[in-house]
Amino acid sequence: MHPADLFKLIGIAIVIVGLALRLRTTLVVVTAGLVTGLAAGLPLFSGDRVFEALPFLTKPGQEGIINMLGKAFADNRLMTLFIITLPAIGLAERYGLQEQSASLIRRFAAATVGRLQIVYQLFRVLTGIVGIRLNGHPSFVRPLIFPMSVGAAEGVLHASSAEELPTDMVEEIKAANAASENYGNFYGQNLSAVQPGILLVFGVMAGLGYAVSVWSLVMFAIPIATISVVLAAVQFWLLDRNFQKSAATTR
Amino acid sequence: MTQLASTLLSIISRVFSLDAVYVITGIVLWILSLLSFRDRINPRRVRTGLFWLILGAIFAFARSTAPDATGVLPNWLTGLLVLFMVAIDGTGGVSRGHYNESTKEEQIIHARRLGGRIFLPVLAIPIVTFLFAIAFRILKLDVNRGALVGLGFGGLCAMATCLWITRDRFETMMQEGRRLNDAMGAVNILPQLLASLGVIFTAAKVGDLIAGGIYKIIPADNLFLLVLANCLGMAMFTIVMGNSFAAFPVIATGVLAPLIIQPFGVRPEMVAIITLTAGSSGTLMTPMAANFNIVPAALLNMRDQYGVIKFQLPYALTLWSLHVILMWLMIKLF
Repeated sequence: MHPADLFKLIGIAIVIVGLALRLRTTLVVVTAGLVTGLAAGLPLFSGDRVFEALPFLTKPGQEGIINMLGKAFADNRLMTLFIITLPAIGLAERYGLQEQSASLIRRFAAATVGRLQIVYQLFRVLTGIVGIRLNGHPSFVRPLIFPMSVGAAEGVLHASSAEELPTDMVEEIKAANAASENYGNFYGQNLSAVQPGILLVFGVMAGLGYAVSVWSLVMFAIPIATISVVLAAVQFWLLDRNFQKSAATTR
Repeated sequence: MTQLASTLLSIISRVFSLDAVYVITGIVLWILSLLSFRDRINPRRVRTGLFWLILGAIFAFARSTAPDATGVLPNWLTGLLVLFMVAIDGTGGVSRGHYNESTKEEQIIHARRLGGRIFLPVLAIPIVTFLFAIAFRILKLDVNRGALVGLGFGGLCAMATCLWITRDRFETMMQEGRRLNDAMGAVNILPQLLASLGVIFTAAKVGDLIAGGIYKIIPADNLFLLVLANCLGMAMFTIVMGNSFAAFPVIATGVLAPLIIQPFGVRPEMVAIITLTAGSSGTLMTPMAANFNIVPAALLNMRDQYGVIKFQLPYALTLWSLHVILMWLMIKLF
């Protein structure tokens, strides 16, 4: 390996050290990007239009780091689109959305935190099979699944409000909510031939000279999808058991 | 008559486009920015307001990838604006404000009065999203784009429904939106920044370097070690890039095809998809996948920003190991 090549890995080192020290993440990421680009000998700006006259900042025929940053940031605006849902969710919360979600779930005696996560994960696998891609964290998890889980936990612990639940338990509920969304989303989406994961694999394998069919890819995604659901059910069942134990000790 | 129809059609396709949704989101961000500027109790109101103002401008004006894109902001200027935003956040300029929040008692009273109707605005978001996705499929357009456009218009429908049900003021709603948005703060833009980092890593050929390293270390005749290296490389690469989709082409080209599929005559579709999901296990473990792991932690006001990752870690490690075993067994058996 060339020593100059190793220098390119400095960006990864910056990210690891920066995140470990809990420095401001935005700053760490952008610094890593700039340093990696410069280490690889990329120019700061593309050499067209405004920057044509600036020899030290540009290189002929190469895309600049700042241009890449701007283009990728603009191309990925879809990742931040959820902001548009926040005003409605915020106002609904002001008018008792979380309270209402919790009281809805308290009517089901069989509802536990773990079982709720299992059901939600299966729902996400189902949306994956149908071929619909959505970001469930802002649209389902925060407004519905989290308050429902809190309601279920209140039922199990015979607590009359969320404030009576131990803080550690609420934190664990939040983590489980986000996890069930991710589990269902990641492994469920490969069960549809129109989802980007399958299409990516199809495209890459075709590029390598292997003509695979999207349907055979979906077929071979079934074992892992099945295992992912079973394994998650075990984790959520253990979570329920922990909560029941802590309920028994606090009483 | 046909001309009228085609004009009408082009207007409709403009209105229900991703660009239109970006502009609407930009306007929402500008309103949040304005409210931040007017938040007199917040000592950092100017810098906080400026941050969201710039993000709104990028949303509304940046050039998109669509062929009929209308954006006017050149990429280099967007890049500089992003650097400016990061500088604001880096110096602690983005902070929470004051929102005239409601008390728990008020929420309970409202909940009794409104009952199940309060679910309508929240349900409007996924329902409109689904409807748009279905409509786009019927019209033979990109379904994923349809879901994104639907998310945007679902947000608008939800706002209208919520105002109608609660009879509250527009400004109160926007203040509540700002409360949630500020709770996340600059974490909001992290997924976009990490995507940019991935692009720069790719341009600097960091991926080839990692694949080359794996290529050198592993013995080419031991199938189990090759499968292990393949899945490990995929997970490691995903942990660094935060995205299994960026990792897959590199690992498939560098390891999977030349070292496993070709020499052992393995069915490509069988190992390819398992390689991809081995990467998904990596996604569950990395803060670099901010949109899945860090943003949700912020969205749920978790005390530990790595709380989601810590919960997912045992699951991800177990599932990853099962990938290795499954792939090896499948090659052996079939």
